[in-house]
Amino acid sequence: MPNMTESEVFDKFAQIVAKSLRIDASQIAPATHLTDLGAESLDLIEITMETETQFHIFLPDKSILETAVEVFGPGILEKDGYLTEEGKRLLLRRVPETDAQAFEGEVAVKDLQHYFLRVGTWVRMIQGLAQYTPGECQACGGAMVPSMGFRMKCGKCGQEITLRSGEELNREWVREYYDKEYHPQTEAPVSATAVQ
Amino acid sequence: MTAFGNLVHDSYVTQAWAPDWRPLGPWPESACCRLDAFPCEPSVLAELILSPDEQAHWRSMRAVEKRRHEWLLGRCVAKQAVRSLLARNLDLRLLPTEIEIVPDPYGRPLVSIAPETTPLRSWPGSGLGTFRAATVRERLQPSLSIAHSDGTAVALAVLDPGVRVGIDLESLTHHRQDFEAIAFSPDERRLLATLSMDRRQEWALRMWCAKEAVGKALGRGLSAGLLAFHIARADVASGMMEVGLRDGALDQFPQRRNRSLIVYTARESNFVFSATIYLQGAVRMRPSRREILDYLLQKMGELTADWDYPDPVRPESLLFTELGFESLDAVVLCTAIQEHYQTPMPFAELLAEIGQQQRDLSIKELADFVDTHLGGPAETGGATRRVQ
Repeated sequence: MPNMTESEVFDKFAQIVAKSLRIDASQIAPATHLTDLGAESLDLIEITMETETQFHIFLPDKSILETAVEVFGPGILEKDGYLTEEGKRLLLRRVPETDAQAFEGEVAVKDLQHYFLRVGTWVRMIQGLAQYTPGECQACGGAMVPSMGFRMKCGKCGQEITLRSGEELNREWVREYYDKEYHPQTEAPVSATAVQ
Repeated sequence: MTAFGNLVHDSYVTQAWAPDWRPLGPWPESACCRLDAFPCEPSVLAELILSPDEQAHWRSMRAVEKRRHEWLLGRCVAKQAVRSLLARNLDLRLLPTEIEIVPDPYGRPLVSIAPETTPLRSWPGSGLGTFRAATVRERLQPSLSIAHSDGTAVALAVLDPGVRVGIDLESLTHHRQDFEAIAFSPDERRLLATLSMDRRQEWALRMWCAKEAVGKALGRGLSAGLLAFHIARADVASGMMEVGLRDGALDQFPQRRNRSLIVYTARESNFVFSATIYLQGAVRMRPSRREILDYLLQKMGELTADWDYPDPVRPESLLFTELGFESLDAVVLCTAIQEHYQTPMPFAELLAEIGQQQRDLSIKELADFVDTHLGGPAETGGATRRVQ
């Protein structure tokens, strides 16, 4: 459903959260954090699965930081549990609703959960991923229905398409960022200076 | 209202909880606590057990009541577990407010003993208690893990600095929607199908708890992805599971390649829980008895460098009468030994036995004890368990 507005996505997502946590949807706002609503790890899984089913999307399995660390290698974005300047830059780019001021000074990895589990962040992520889920068949215009695994199928002509997973899209984004915007400071070779 | 006096002093508002760890083999000195309901009004409990900083955090928490209450219950059992661990093993009696639980940057709970600690009743006027508190603060950082679910909280604390623990708990009362598709790989789902036909939900939760416990023991949670923690085997009779690391988890802990962790899982009434211990450090080679004795003599030399003995320390030297050891010195030595060999050993029993029999211990005897407990067959009796 590529054409859903942010508020439509929000309403639908808030219903999912409210049902899973057995709370009233009126308690949920874009700035609310899922853990503050009482969500535990298994609740988050439940919310994830229900969101995937209802929006026909595949949410990423791990945080953008984890994916980015896998691409960048250790010690560049995060060191000893704290974000480096490079790490802060990447996250501010990828999670723009994050308050830049909150990223001044030391940011511990454990505190990032605070940003990743914001309802508004999920809504934006869902909306982003839903763009890749066609509402109708490109070949004949028929309605698409879920098929096996990562696939959807046209109810009319039977044409199948493969959906993009959030994980894959995150990784692609990180790779592009790495190639275009990451400029490691080139240091003089240590051995050369040491010899002199 | 006398209950409140107890609450602050030695009481143990929490139930001491004694899961049967035997299947895990030798288990280091540990304390486990559990709480299923508030012993008093939550705001009163917060005043009684939280440090000023923790109280400030408690008041500023914007979360829903359920979350705030579980956080408080978690603090309560964690402090109690640490208190009973220190009281039992070091005769060090602290107030709950003197033990702060501060998460490290990755979120693992660390135990922090307040700098101005005045231990209750221990060694009045001697200053020894304060000295011991400083030792715990600086050298014997206990490992701690906390879990809560559905109004119940549990905590597990272990004294050995070389050991990390992880505990998890999930309630079986409300039926979860099928979470297996996300939490488990196809291999794990096939394994689950072989475990139990009629108690599938319970075993699915046990497998989930096993992953959580490993994430907690290693200190980074499941941040590397749910499938990066792979349940390779599970034994229905004992509840033991073997969890290996993959992908992102191996990037975080490359030293755990091909070295899985053993997790114990069990069901108690409407809860499923799991626990694991993890020895930090490299693969150990079994040393010879000669090497153990050499190590002990060298370690003794370090510990007593400025003690001015008239004679050099020999294998026959007696720790207490000859070398002037006190019980804390013995604890420091035993801790160093366990850390060096990355193996928990039942030192507390050894020291208690010596105390009862009113005899001394030579370095040679200590070497024999270490030799016996290094990589030998798993102890199955109560010798290494003092969970009460």
